[in-house]
Amino acid sequence: MNLNKDLNYVNFITRSTPDPGLMGGKGSNLVKLAQIGVIVPPGFIVNVNSYKMFLEKSEHSEQIKELLRIDYNAKDVLPLSSNIKDLILRSSIPEDVLNEVKLAFEQIHENFGSEISFAVRSSASIEDSSQFSFAGQADTFLYNKSFEDVIKSIKECWASLFSPGAMLYLLQMRKKGIELSLLDIEMAVVVQEMINSHISSTLFTVNVLNNDKNSIYIISTWGLGETLANNIIVPDTIIVDKTNFEIIKLDIGEKEKKSIQNPEGSGTILVENEPNSRLICSLNEDQICQICKVGLKIENALEFPQDIELSIEKDIIYVLQARPITTLKI
Amino acid sequence: MKVIGKGLSCASKDEVTGELVYIQTVEDVINLFDTAGGKICLIEDAGTTTLGPILSDLTGIVCTTGSGGSHLAIVSREFDLPCIMNIDMDIEDLTQLNGKTGKISTEEDNAGILYLLN
Repeated sequence: MNLNKDLNYVNFITRSTPDPGLMGGKGSNLVKLAQIGVIVPPGFIVNVNSYKMFLEKSEHSEQIKELLRIDYNAKDVLPLSSNIKDLILRSSIPEDVLNEVKLAFEQIHENFGSEISFAVRSSASIEDSSQFSFAGQADTFLYNKSFEDVIKSIKECWASLFSPGAMLYLLQMRKKGIELSLLDIEMAVVVQEMINSHISSTLFTVNVLNNDKNSIYIISTWGLGETLANNIIVPDTIIVDKTNFEIIKLDIGEKEKKSIQNPEGSGTILVENEPNSRLICSLNEDQICQICKVGLKIENALEFPQDIELSIEKDIIYVLQARPITTLKI
Repeated sequence: MKVIGKGLSCASKDEVTGELVYIQTVEDVINLFDTAGGKICLIEDAGTTTLGPILSDLTGIVCTTGSGGSHLAIVSREFDLPCIMNIDMDIEDLTQLNGKTGKISTEEDNAGILYLLN
C-alpha cells in the first residue's frame, strides 16, 4: 500500500501538499514549513475528512448535529458546550478512520522509535489564517504514549472546537460582522513526535510591540511552551536587529515556573524553576542568532511576517508552529 | 489620579478610561458578555484564553503576568485593544478595584501605566 496516495483521512507532514481546507491552518502551515526545509517534528495530520466522517457516522451523529444547529447566545454557552463535548467524547471513531490513524501511528514508531510519545494538537479550519488567528481557542494534548491515548486526544481536540472559549470567540466574530456557525468550523488534528523542550521560544519576525519591521521580538523560557502561550510566567524578552542579528534589548524574565512532562502519566505539570536558571536568559547568543535565522527563512519563504513557536531539545531547533501576524500596522 | 500599576503595553497604544472589573472564571466572562463595553479587565494568570471572546467589547485589559507574545496578547492586538502585561500593581487585593474607574496609557518604551481615577 502506498501510504500517502491511498489514505483518505491522514496526510503525512513531509509528504503532502499544503491544503488549509483539508488540514486546518496549523496543519497546512506545518506542511509548508517542511517543504521549505525547516525542521518540524515528524508526524501526520488527521484531516477534516476524519472529522466529517466522525460527525456523519458516529452513534450520536444526529444529536450532535442538532446541537450544532442551535442559534446560541452567551448565556447558552456553558450547557451547550458541555452537551456537545460529552456526546463527542462518548462517540466512537469510524473504523476506516481508526485504521488509517493506526497505520500512520505505527509508521512514525517504525521510523523514529517505539519509545517516542506524541503531541496531539488542534488545527481548525479557521485557525492560523491571515484573517483571524483563533489563537489559544482550541486545545493541545501532550505526551500521548499509546495509540489509545492518541485516539482519546484526537476526540478531545474535536471536542475543544466547542469549548466555552471557542464558542464565545465565534459569537464575538459574529459581532464584528464575520458570520460563522458551529457547523462551518471543521477540525483537523496534528499528531507529531513530542519534543521534550529544554527551551521554548516564540519569535515574531516583526516587533509586534511597536510595529517596527526592522526588529525581531522574542520571548523565551525553560521547558515547554505552554507557559509562554498561556501567560503563566514572565519570560525572557529579547529584541534583535533584523539586519545584523545584534541584540538591541534583553530583559531577563522571572520564569517562575516551567512546564514539564507529567512523570505519572500523559500530559504535563508545572514545577518551580530552579533559582539559578531564573537569573539567566534561557537562550544564549548563539541560540538567539540561530532562531532568528530560522525565523527569517520562514518569513522569506512564506512572504509574510510570521509568529513562530520554536522548541530546542539537545541543540536541535524545531519549529512547532508558524502563522501570519494578523495585526500589522506598517 | 494615582498610578497603581506599571507593566508592558503590548497592543493598542490608545489612552482609554473605563470601569475596572476583576475577572477570575469563565462564568465571570459569560456574565460580562453583553456588558463588557466600557470595562477594563484585570486578570491574573488563569483564564486568559477564556477572556479572548469578550476582548473586542472591552475598553482595555491588564494582566499581572505574561508577555507580549502570549495568545492573549495576540488576540488583544487582533481586536486593537490596549493591553498591559506583567503589571506590577501597588494593590494586592484586586477585588478592591471592582467598579472603580481606571485609565490605561502608554509611555516611552512601551511602558503601560494604569491609573486609578476614583
